[in-house]
Amino acid sequence: MKKIIDSLKTGIYFDHYLFISITILSLMGLVFLYSASDGNTTTVIKQSFFVIFGLILMFIVSQPDPDFYKNNSLIFLIFSIILILLTLLVGKEVNGAKRWLDLGFFTLQSSEIVKIALPVFLAAYLYDKTLPISLLNTLVTLVLIFVVANFVRIQPDLGTSLVILIAGIYVLFLAGLSWRFIGVSSGIFILSLPFIWNNFLEPFQRQRILTLLDPTADPFGSGWNITQSKIAIGSGGLQGKGYQMGSQAHLDFLPETETDFIFSVIAEEFGFIGVCILLSIFFFILLRCLYLALNARDRFCRLTIGGLSLLFLSTIFINLAMVIGIIPVVGMPLPFISKGGSSLLSFYLAFGIVISMATHKKLMQK
Amino acid sequence: MIDINERFSEKKNFFNRLIFVYIFFACLFLYFIYKTFSLQVSSFTDYEIASLKNKTREVLIQPRRGIIYDRNGEIIVNNVPSYNLIINPSEINDLDSTLSNIKKIIDLSDLEIKNAQDNFSLKKKLNRELILKTNLTNEEIAKFEVRKYRYPNLFIAERYSRKNMYPYLFSHSVGYVGSINEEDLQDILSSQDLKPRETIFKYSNGYLKGKTGLENIYDKQLRGFFGKRIYEVDANGRFLEEKETIDSIDGKDIYTSLDLTAQQVSFNELNNRRGAVVAVNLENGGILSYVSSPSFSVNDITNGLSQKEFNKLLNDDDKPFFDRAGQGRYSPASTIKPAIGLFGLEKDLIDWQYTIDDIGFFVLPEDGRIYRGWRKDGHGIINLQDAIIESSNTFFFSLAYQTEVNELVKYLSNFGFGKNICLDCFYPDKGLLPSPTWKMNTHNFGWFKGDTVNLGVGQGYLSATPLQLAYYSSFLANKGSLNNFSFVQNNKDVIRNNFMTNNINDVDWKKIHESMIGVIENPKGTASRLKNLKEYIIAAKSGTVELVSTETKEDYKIIRETEGNRDHAIIIAFGPMPNPKYAVSVVIENGESGGSVAGPVAIAVLNSLIKE
Repeated sequence: MKKIIDSLKTGIYFDHYLFISITILSLMGLVFLYSASDGNTTTVIKQSFFVIFGLILMFIVSQPDPDFYKNNSLIFLIFSIILILLTLLVGKEVNGAKRWLDLGFFTLQSSEIVKIALPVFLAAYLYDKTLPISLLNTLVTLVLIFVVANFVRIQPDLGTSLVILIAGIYVLFLAGLSWRFIGVSSGIFILSLPFIWNNFLEPFQRQRILTLLDPTADPFGSGWNITQSKIAIGSGGLQGKGYQMGSQAHLDFLPETETDFIFSVIAEEFGFIGVCILLSIFFFILLRCLYLALNARDRFCRLTIGGLSLLFLSTIFINLAMVIGIIPVVGMPLPFISKGGSSLLSFYLAFGIVISMATHKKLMQK
Repeated sequence: MIDINERFSEKKNFFNRLIFVYIFFACLFLYFIYKTFSLQVSSFTDYEIASLKNKTREVLIQPRRGIIYDRNGEIIVNNVPSYNLIINPSEINDLDSTLSNIKKIIDLSDLEIKNAQDNFSLKKKLNRELILKTNLTNEEIAKFEVRKYRYPNLFIAERYSRKNMYPYLFSHSVGYVGSINEEDLQDILSSQDLKPRETIFKYSNGYLKGKTGLENIYDKQLRGFFGKRIYEVDANGRFLEEKETIDSIDGKDIYTSLDLTAQQVSFNELNNRRGAVVAVNLENGGILSYVSSPSFSVNDITNGLSQKEFNKLLNDDDKPFFDRAGQGRYSPASTIKPAIGLFGLEKDLIDWQYTIDDIGFFVLPEDGRIYRGWRKDGHGIINLQDAIIESSNTFFFSLAYQTEVNELVKYLSNFGFGKNICLDCFYPDKGLLPSPTWKMNTHNFGWFKGDTVNLGVGQGYLSATPLQLAYYSSFLANKGSLNNFSFVQNNKDVIRNNFMTNNINDVDWKKIHESMIGVIENPKGTASRLKNLKEYIIAAKSGTVELVSTETKEDYKIIRETEGNRDHAIIIAFGPMPNPKYAVSVVIENGESGGSVAGPVAIAVLNSLIKE
């Protein structure tokens, strides 16, 4: 009997720290979403299906050996890029943005897949390169990152393209991008900022950045979202107004309560204490990822865990910084909390891969 | 492939870089937590208020205006309920079927239907009432009441209309209310520490403000205080829940000194002729009657008059909007004579025995210019008393000739000439009390002795309003002690004016009164025709204001062909004698004879007052 359990234990790849904390986070997300959607049970039931399916997906994805991902990463990347190109051609248009592929039972936000596939591919591409990474490899990698990010940008989905961009750069950086290259390119980047401002940003995106600098300049226009979000967060106080009692959220003052601004709802209803509890779960997951990355079996696993965890970290930070008005509004969900199946599944997928990388030891080490 | 050493250094390198990024983000998160802390804990109060402000909406509740009474408690201006048909759009899905249902019992005009259709969706979104029809008739109300159960979303609400019960009688005294502009509203509300907001109206006409007369002067008291109702609203401003109501405070009622009966008598006696009557209670200076004729309906003005009708009133040659009682300037003419006589006594220029020989005219010694009396052959040897009774011009020409003009002007201002003698009249005119300085400043001309002589018979530059003439009349009646006029009872701001004199004693006053009684009682008196009209002993002094200077009666007959050239008729009177209680002044434009045209009006008003 004990043998069977032991063999099951060795046969199953499972990180209970991550699994439990992500499950708790997902369940909290459902509770928050119920309030943020004004008690819309349809939304919550739909989201629950994604959570259950996502947890199963995470478990399944964590079973194959990392080599499986290493060897097939190019196929995954090509597949996800095809999805993106398909989206651009036949995607569903909502509010002037073509981001979704209608699969009949589910509308897939294709950029959420490439967000995971790209870092994994880059890790597989760079893991055996000598240090420091040669200029040629650096440029090849950067071109790939920028091409993929640009496919997403023209949907347009600035938020996700930004995340893809930084996730790719994280892997490149962790793989050993030369400091000299970093110094030179960041110099060029800073100098080209005015050029980017004038040529790559849509007028509404420029407006968002200007709004950030002075939200009071136009409190009822483009500053409305930030102003109302700050009022929601601030009026939550230490203990919050109570579950489903947030007037900012429930009287329509707060925009996009189910997606981008769900954190404001949480902060309004659960206060600073609630914010701290939520953040500590996020921190726990991140620290666990850091630990796993440092103890990973090889360079590919290290890079993948590092890249995906930083992707997770950046997504959280961009969302939080946005709702509190530190950075412009870019449209970024809060992982495991915000409504949206694609985003939810992409992070289950990411953590499934992380668990796979962390739990499979090399046979020779055994 | 990479060797062991390289792998070791790669691992270290990876370790450093990952930690570097984590620390970088740790710093960012610390900043984020600091920002959240400062929002939620340090500035909590500010944001709590902001959130509360977001979800609450204050709505003002209009107060009811005070009622205006006459001195006997008769209502002059009241708030009359009118009934409006109202629906609640947020409970109605199909407006058109609702409207066609309503049309089965209450007729709706195309305009009313269009208005309902235009505003329906907005009112629905905001959860506000929609007024379908205003001023329902009793029949419509009855029809609705019976079938009310069939129309759950329809109801009738009471709104007031400001209504003057005697729309023509008090047009210039009580005045009227009207709608309000943005600036007025701001002023009114800020005086009550409020800001303009959506308002629940008590009046069908919305915000009201006193535009003229007492409605204007006492607007603040009549207005009352706005109440507040606080609603919870969503981001669209939709009413969700009523939270709190602070009721409005109705305006204070005003008990005026006006006397409905006297007012009616004055109005009827004037009978739409151009003119004015002012009657006063001598005891307290309260204005009993204040009529300017012709008049207009204040209710029409308040409740909306078509532009055409309004223009017709505005362009009427008789100028019904013009307040003749308080703003019309008329020469006092012969009514000034008692005051001139008093000045002569004051300065010892004359006494009651002093006589002159009135040969029908006065010759100004300086340039030989002739100043004629009204009787061609004069009044013969005449003293002050008879000069008042018979209204001898020559006597007063020669008396005025002897005076020092600046002293005379100063003396006349005692009687209310050239100044405002009313505490709460609506823009009263001060008339004109001329002086050498005034003439130099305005006409750039020196004062002639002839100007002083003209002043002696109340002609020339001197002019006064009927209100001032009433004051003058009252001042004579009260022997030089009188309150400033006021329209309200128990006015706290009242001022007692006392005559500044060293030389006029009670005997003099009595003789002045006797002379003025003689104007009616004495067969030679200029108003002796009134003897049969009066029911009490009345003192009076008539006057006839020459508008065009003529040498002879024949000349006058020619110019009087044009009505506007005819003399104005003036009279001041008080009674009952010997202890007068009421004084009156009457002006009838182009009425020609003070005694026989203005006189009967004055007698009728005094009779009615004394009888009361």
